[in-house]
Amino acid sequence: MSFVVYPAIDLIDGKCVRLYQGDYARETIYGDDPISQALKFESDGAEWIHLVDLDAARTGSLENTTVIKDICEELSIPVQVGGGIRSSDTAKLLYDIGVERTVIGTAAVEDPELVLRIAEHGHRVAVGVDGKDGYVATRGWKVTTDLKVVDLLKRLEMSGAEVGIVTEIKRDGTMEGSDLEGLSQILRDVNIPVIASGGLGSLEDLHDLVRLQVNGSRLAGVITGRALYEKRLTLKGLIVTAEGLEHVESEHD
Amino acid sequence: MVKVAVLDYGIGNLRSAQKAFEISGAEARLTADKDLVLASDGVVLPGVGNFGKCAKALTDSGVREIALLAVENDLPFLGICVGMQLLYETSDESPEAKGLGLFAGKVKVLENAPRVPQMQWNQIQLEGDSPLLRGLEDEWFYFVHSYAAEQNQLESTTIATCTYGSPIIAAVQKGLLFGTQFHPEKSGKAGRLLLQNFLKICERTV
Repeated sequence: MSFVVYPAIDLIDGKCVRLYQGDYARETIYGDDPISQALKFESDGAEWIHLVDLDAARTGSLENTTVIKDICEELSIPVQVGGGIRSSDTAKLLYDIGVERTVIGTAAVEDPELVLRIAEHGHRVAVGVDGKDGYVATRGWKVTTDLKVVDLLKRLEMSGAEVGIVTEIKRDGTMEGSDLEGLSQILRDVNIPVIASGGLGSLEDLHDLVRLQVNGSRLAGVITGRALYEKRLTLKGLIVTAEGLEHVESEHD
Repeated sequence: MVKVAVLDYGIGNLRSAQKAFEISGAEARLTADKDLVLASDGVVLPGVGNFGKCAKALTDSGVREIALLAVENDLPFLGICVGMQLLYETSDESPEAKGLGLFAGKVKVLENAPRVPQMQWNQIQLEGDSPLLRGLEDEWFYFVHSYAAEQNQLESTTIATCTYGSPIIAAVQKGLLFGTQFHPEKSGKAGRLLLQNFLKICERTV
């Protein structure tokens, strides 16, 4: 499985935004048109797009479906969507408008059966596990639990989710690098593929992620947002670098 | 403008397939109308999910007969994913269900696969020089499938393979009849080039 760079588009009120460490009071709007942004990512070589409905993450009801549908229709690459998906009906609605994979977050913690109910219809499901210092945070990151991220992922291995998306909140939007220590522990203990999210700020950070290997298992990809919007990194550069590194790494295996 | 009929037989979301053809420069119509299909320059059979369900939907919608007519009339025809599998006689996924039988043989579960289904971007290797895959050697395409066509012993129809544990048939051709196991409509630039190649075939300019 090759390492995939997922460019992220976070939506609030139909607009493309980024938050800092999940704080809605610290949002930056990056252009009003998420569709052109998504098309730009596609033409830069993206294999996937990662969309988050931040309104839904907060309220639990989908708020940006029109934009999500337009993006799915305009693009010729698969799109995954997270944020506020707390029932199989909501997930179904998203698949019906062309979403390829849903990302179940809070609801997977509160109702582990939900992932199974969605996946058994043959749909692709990821679980999004967001943590603060290694502990699971839910409800748009407003609540931190006493459950460890790694333990939740282990529990979700058999849920039907094909991949876990791990976000370290303290890194998200900071561009200060990923939480490699936390990710190493997850790679060691968890048996489903894992995508890292939060903190990517340099090509060095990308090197660290692509090279990270524990007992033969590696990360399946990275989600990146702010570094692209702040023009600190280019998507093309990230994709080419990841491909090159993987090539080198596989020769060493 | 090239007219493409995307066969609408009541399965899942076909909008992305239709849209991808529009972006590639065709007038693409979602339809199950016989006259419209036969008046088009090319026909696309998408497919998602379970072989048996798709085969049943083909029959129930009347699209089975229309698809066969289109092929009989020598219209360029492209089956995508389960739509490609439906071109075969049967599938191990649903042994009772009948495909269109346009290709000899059956569809069977992926063998020696590291994980089933294969859900990833994978690189194809070309066999021969199919006009559908011109310029696409070693390109990456998006796959989601648990089953794949069995190697045909009687005729060589394979135009591309990919490796996933073992070699898998990624695309097939017999005359103007084509199938891709991957999703060109979700495969970015490479996918768009494939669709444009198909449109050229529809225009009869290759």
